[in-house]
Amino acid sequence: MVTKVIQIILSPVLALIVGVFFLGLARKIMARIHWRYGPPLIQPVIDMIRLFYQKSVSHGRMFDLGIILSLAGSIVVVLFLPFGQIAPLSNSGGLLVILYIMLLAPLGMALSGGQGANPNISIGISRKLILSLGYEVPLLLVLLAVMTHYKTISIVEMVYIQQSTGWSITSWPLFLSGLSYFLILPATLGIRPFDMTSAPQEISSGPMVEYGGKYLALATIEHAFALFISIALFVNLFLGGAANPIIFFVKMLVVFVLGLFVHAVFPRFRIEQAIKYLWKWPTLLAFLGLIMTLVVGS
Amino acid sequence: MSLELVLIVAFGGALLTYVLGKMSHRVRDFFAVIVSLALVAIVACLYGRSVEKTFYSGFFGIPFILRLNMLSWFFAIAISTLGTLSIIFSLSYMKDRERTDFYYSMMLLVNAAMLGIVLAGDLVSFYIFWEVMSWSTFLLISYNKGPALAAGMKYIIMSLVGSLAMLIGMLSLYTTYWTLSISEISAVIASASSGYILFTLIIFSITFGIKNAVMPLHTWLPDSYAEAPSPFTAVLSGMLTRMGIYGFVLIMYVIVGAVRTLDLGSEILKFNYILAWLGAITIVIPTFIAMLQNDAKQLLAWHGIGQGGYMILGISFGTSLGVVGGIFHTLNHAIYIVLLFMSVAAVQYRTNGERDLNSLGGLIRKMPVAFMGGLLGISGLIGVPLTNGFVSKWLIYKTLIVEGYPFLAFAALIGTWGTILSVYKFLHNMFLGQLPEKYKDIHKSPFSMQLPMIVLSFAILLFGILPGIPLKVINTIGTSFGFEPLNVTLWGIASETGTLNTINIFSAVVVAALLIWVLFRLSAKSVPVSQEDSYAAGAHIPKDKYHYTAEFYNPLYRMIKPFLRDVIDEFYYWIAASVQKLSDSVRRVYAGDVGYYVMYIILFLAFLIFVQLKWKSW
Repeated sequence: MVTKVIQIILSPVLALIVGVFFLGLARKIMARIHWRYGPPLIQPVIDMIRLFYQKSVSHGRMFDLGIILSLAGSIVVVLFLPFGQIAPLSNSGGLLVILYIMLLAPLGMALSGGQGANPNISIGISRKLILSLGYEVPLLLVLLAVMTHYKTISIVEMVYIQQSTGWSITSWPLFLSGLSYFLILPATLGIRPFDMTSAPQEISSGPMVEYGGKYLALATIEHAFALFISIALFVNLFLGGAANPIIFFVKMLVVFVLGLFVHAVFPRFRIEQAIKYLWKWPTLLAFLGLIMTLVVGS
Repeated sequence: MSLELVLIVAFGGALLTYVLGKMSHRVRDFFAVIVSLALVAIVACLYGRSVEKTFYSGFFGIPFILRLNMLSWFFAIAISTLGTLSIIFSLSYMKDRERTDFYYSMMLLVNAAMLGIVLAGDLVSFYIFWEVMSWSTFLLISYNKGPALAAGMKYIIMSLVGSLAMLIGMLSLYTTYWTLSISEISAVIASASSGYILFTLIIFSITFGIKNAVMPLHTWLPDSYAEAPSPFTAVLSGMLTRMGIYGFVLIMYVIVGAVRTLDLGSEILKFNYILAWLGAITIVIPTFIAMLQNDAKQLLAWHGIGQGGYMILGISFGTSLGVVGGIFHTLNHAIYIVLLFMSVAAVQYRTNGERDLNSLGGLIRKMPVAFMGGLLGISGLIGVPLTNGFVSKWLIYKTLIVEGYPFLAFAALIGTWGTILSVYKFLHNMFLGQLPEKYKDIHKSPFSMQLPMIVLSFAILLFGILPGIPLKVINTIGTSFGFEPLNVTLWGIASETGTLNTINIFSAVVVAALLIWVLFRLSAKSVPVSQEDSYAAGAHIPKDKYHYTAEFYNPLYRMIKPFLRDVIDEFYYWIAASVQKLSDSVRRVYAGDVGYYVMYIILFLAFLIFVQLKWKSW
């Protein structure tokens, strides 16, 4: 009981630290690729603390509640995701529940932005929703392949099986699914070439445009959690999870840095191009992967 | 409480309402509400009873049987409760319209007919109640005249096809077993040949498939939903369409029985497997068509079709998880779709019947309760955790994955993501975004509209957080079909291949939200600003000039629109047009001139003589 309570408190805190660290690291690595020096690693923390003290504008009750809901949703997902051996709520529902609670964050953001009544927000949300429909097609096929292969919807169980049989991405029927997931990872993370949702130079950061002060701070925290969730899900499902948080963190770091390299060199897609990409190769691979899983399984 | 009392009160109430309406509108309204509340009370008192009553003076000497078990009780309580809420909602919605006596008595009649259907213990009375329901529905759909009349026509023609199919099925059963009592047929049909059972299932599936709008029999639904008066659309979408699901469950698991139903056909081409695929198609295509709609009620109507697919998918998989999930989804869908239609109706009531999504907006400030209804309604429709829709969808997905049908599961899951896009547009275009100048001083909904919306919102959360309440009842239904009982607790389902615990999710969300709220309150205050005061990179945004939500998903439209024509509807129209042409040319034969008829007779005689001369057949 006591360990459970400690885990419940520990896992969001760890996730937040990792997420915020990733935000800082991203700026640093990007700067180095651009031949700049870049801000210090803790710059996001400094910004956040400052933002909480700054004045902001509110467009109404849903504007406030949406952002709270969004962040709460992200925190709850973290409780369901195993981080090493820390997975406090994993026996209250499996991958299907995670998949659905992951909806709360974008939904809350969309509702909050909706009341902002700003054309940039509308464009941003519209792109975000279309993009998520775009990557959900291959992602769902991939997740179904994993669930069918391991014959369970419990994510802890999947990690447990991988510890004895090896990583999913190297195992034979799930290889294609893993590859497909890796190809859509930038879209789930919202980094270039898939950052048309928040394109700063184009639609003034889209859904974030009306946020200032504490709203922006909460949105940044949410972003940190979102980074953590997307990468942790990939690591858990395809890179075998980990027996302890440190190895887990190292695996996440590798995936994230790889993603950053893509982010640094690619220009931005238009939304139609993104959909065309997502519904072509990754979907085809995921589809083949699912068929292979079925064939091998039976 | 006896069983026939339900029907006496229901049908008597419908008739009396019409008579009372001629005297005083106020008394009639009061009476209609009392009758529907009384029905809820009577049905609630019948909980847990299992009776079968035979009246020998039935229709044409065929005994008239009423039967009650958990399945019919479950549907009856849902019908009567949702019926009551719609009647209460109608009180202000229909206030200043004409022919309200007719409206109220028809509403009660539809309710009565539905109660009759679920309580019927023999197929004749089932058929008669089914017809009463179809006809009174037709009258209500075409209540508004104009395009509503065409929609009603489409509905009644398809309904008639369904009724004819049922009639054929009934006659065939009667001539085989010489009885129409449901319990007697179910006792003997188990020994019938597979071919006969397949025939029975298919012929009844046509009837129930049309009612439940399973693709390709769905085409009546969008127009009918959109054109019917909104409180009735709520009933139509909530329970009436789902009489099809009741029918499917009845024929598959009560009459034929699970053992025979699940064992029809070869390894790949099983009856229930094909039905499941139809369900999957019914989920995906309508959900994507819904994205293209700009009419609030049409959008919801297409989701009505799509969600029906989930129920079919659930019940066609003969596992306890699937059947329980399918039936539970029927209830959940009823709750949130009624709420959504009420929310639209509340907006329509204040904006002169506006339901074009591109000309509304920003109504959250004016109609908070309708917004809350809309928000919880779409959450249920998507299946956001902690709403009722989540639990039933979870059950259905889990069945599909554990049983090893990932492609069906994919269809069901991707349907959910399509749903998010269209329902966000629905909510955003009505309640969020900018409030148009012309709606600056509209008022919030009257109390008689708010009350049903609040009750239903509460139900969505209650069944989402404590799904054990309805699941206990549905579990009993599942067990009565011979399925293994599920391990249901008040807040979830336990099993080896993955459990669900909603109370933990609920506590986690609440605690997390509270913590963030405290942080939110402790940090620097925000200043409320008007909707025009927004950042546009230095540019001035003219008031009321743009509607940010029009053409919301344009990039996606351009890509998927060519693939989403309703070909089936066009095909039916083509059939209708050809039949009309054919009839027209046949009509020309009757020229009305005696000379022509004489000529026909002579030609016919000449033909006979020719035949005789040539082949000597006589």
